[in-house]
Amino acid sequence: MARISVIGIGNVLEGDDALGPTVVRLFEAAYAVPDDVAIIDGGTPGLDLTAYMAELEALIVVDAMKLKGGAPGELKVLDKAGILNRGPIVALSPHEPGLRESILHAEFQEVAPPVVRLIGVVAGSIDFGCRLTAPVRAALPAAVEQVRAELTALGVPVTPRRPPLTADLWWEKPQHA
Amino acid sequence: MSTRITIDPITRIEGHLRIDLEVEGGHVSKAYSSGTMWRGIELILQGRDPRDAWVFTQRICGVCTTVHAIASVRSVESALGLEIPLNAQLIRNIIISAHSQHDHIVHFYHLSALDWVDVVSALGADPARTAALAAKISDWPGNSVQALTAVKEKLAGFVKAGQLGPFANGYWGHPAMKLAPEVNLLAVAHYLQALDVQRKANQVVAILGSKTPNIQNLAVGGVANAINLDNPATLNMEKLYRVKSLLEEVQAFITQVYLPDVAAVAGFYPDWLKYGAGVTNYLAVPDLPTDARATRFDLPGGIVMAGAKDLERITGWDKGQPFVQRVTEGVARSYYEGAEQRHPWQGETRPSYTGDWKAETEAPAKYSWVKAPRLDGKPVQVGPLAQVLVGFLTGHELTVKYVTAAIDAVKAIHGIQLTPAMLHSTLGRHAARAVRCAMMGELSLKHWGLLAANVGKGDTAIFNPPVFPKGEIMGVGLHEAPRGTLSHWCVIEDGKLKNYQAVVPSTWNAGPRDEKDQAGPYEASLVGNPIADPKLPLEALRTIHSFDPCLACAIHTHDADGQELGQVKVGV
Repeated sequence: MARISVIGIGNVLEGDDALGPTVVRLFEAAYAVPDDVAIIDGGTPGLDLTAYMAELEALIVVDAMKLKGGAPGELKVLDKAGILNRGPIVALSPHEPGLRESILHAEFQEVAPPVVRLIGVVAGSIDFGCRLTAPVRAALPAAVEQVRAELTALGVPVTPRRPPLTADLWWEKPQHA
Repeated sequence: MSTRITIDPITRIEGHLRIDLEVEGGHVSKAYSSGTMWRGIELILQGRDPRDAWVFTQRICGVCTTVHAIASVRSVESALGLEIPLNAQLIRNIIISAHSQHDHIVHFYHLSALDWVDVVSALGADPARTAALAAKISDWPGNSVQALTAVKEKLAGFVKAGQLGPFANGYWGHPAMKLAPEVNLLAVAHYLQALDVQRKANQVVAILGSKTPNIQNLAVGGVANAINLDNPATLNMEKLYRVKSLLEEVQAFITQVYLPDVAAVAGFYPDWLKYGAGVTNYLAVPDLPTDARATRFDLPGGIVMAGAKDLERITGWDKGQPFVQRVTEGVARSYYEGAEQRHPWQGETRPSYTGDWKAETEAPAKYSWVKAPRLDGKPVQVGPLAQVLVGFLTGHELTVKYVTAAIDAVKAIHGIQLTPAMLHSTLGRHAARAVRCAMMGELSLKHWGLLAANVGKGDTAIFNPPVFPKGEIMGVGLHEAPRGTLSHWCVIEDGKLKNYQAVVPSTWNAGPRDEKDQAGPYEASLVGNPIADPKLPLEALRTIHSFDPCLACAIHTHDADGQELGQVKVGV
């Protein structure tokens, strides 16, 4: 049973929204962590995210981010209070409940992790297609290092893999191979 | 003088659903449904290996991952005429039915119950009276005075801390809220318990699918779950029994809590058995095959046109089924080039965006990114209601059993006699979903038994390898998903994908008007709904939520600015 989870969320078919899954897969290829740390490509789980955070000690989420005045590729780390700084939404569809609503549900159930960290990278373009924009791609190494730094701060031993594995970014493979 | 209302939660960058209403004399006179994300999965799949398509399609939608994976492998198997082993069929069926239960429970409790339940009013409830009321409905252990007192205290704690947690932004105190404080408290308690139960249903998907949200055990030709009852690394006795006990826990919740709750709510809101019918043409495809060749199914398929006047059975998934040729998609009012209806095998996605639709103004010629699917040129409603009507009208035993149970429950609680005709309504869709969920609960355990029996006979086959011929082949993968009929249409040339179209349930239901100005099901269902307060159009949300909207286009970008989402704009 995982004690800490690193979850990359986002849709790999939607341009820069693939940031989260890409970063966790790159991290997993570059670093080894103990068995009680789960590295998850979470896709776009909506409210199901609640189930992935229940009873954890700490949750690290990696996600593309929308930020007023932010430049594409800009890295920003939020803590739980920063994520919860606004009210939840009135949802029309099951996608709309996001990280904020999932944490609120977990808190109401008393299973929310005490520590939540969001590593966000400001998105350039979110549109149909399996590629990141250049500024977001350029931010990948920093985001991967931020995952490492967050885990280290939580006291998790993070070991570089030598040699590193190849990350399985299957959605980036060319169509007419 | 009419009032225009735009319900527009789209500030989360791209995506999702917008509803525009014209209200006259306190009732909706015209309604428009628009989705703001375009889809073009074929643009990503063209040229790829058909065996990989399901891995991509399950990412179309983060909530419906499993269903797009299933429809995709079925589509390629249909093109090849490839039969899969019985174990593979049954493992897929258990995943499908567990996923459905998860989805229906989440929809009722977490995405729509708060349209009917006033959380703040629950603070005035007496837990002892609530428990006594609940005892009349079922003997669920979560309805004890202690459990209900704890929920009330928790809720009071949230309110005292100046927040309502996940319940902020609800329509509390709205004049259209009618439940007694005790019923509201019971509903809040079940809301919390449902969060646990839906996780259990999802665990079944995770055990069999190797992972959620994106399952990894599928293959064109079967599944990748090696079966060896004694091997810890494969699907073994321990995992099978874990699946069974989880399914039993979920089923207990459905029959003792979910179905009675829907009956309890329905009896308090009898008006909502009159509103919301809209399009009364229905389509459901058969699902949960019980044999390897998929000739017999535990969920019946059929077409009901104009209420119940005509019923046409759909007996299988083969390309020779007559309805397969009669499905088209139109783009007359959608942001694409072209004006004619096209069959999905000839479908194309050529965006032609004609500009934003300003809130509270008249609908422009093109107003949605969603296409308008039609059957025989007519709009059609899909979803649990379609499934239940087809089953009920064909005398399908399991459907009749749970429809009768729902009608009996309303009578027991409220003394009101419902009729099956009342299913054509906003609350009818909720009732049908609860009925279908109960059916899925029973069927998931039945298929677990079929799998255990087949494996017990020594059959461990899980995969028949696909072989792709030279030349062009076409297939259709059908799946009766939680939100209704899902179809994936593929054209394969020399072993590579040439075209691929997903016609998803929410396209059938949320699609816009067509070239003949026929409204889609969401649009038609809203007409006639009352709107007590145009600034708080709770009634419109009730009808839209009853369809379980899910536009197949999820993104998940975090909005760090935390803008006020879910805004409603009103103009006169």
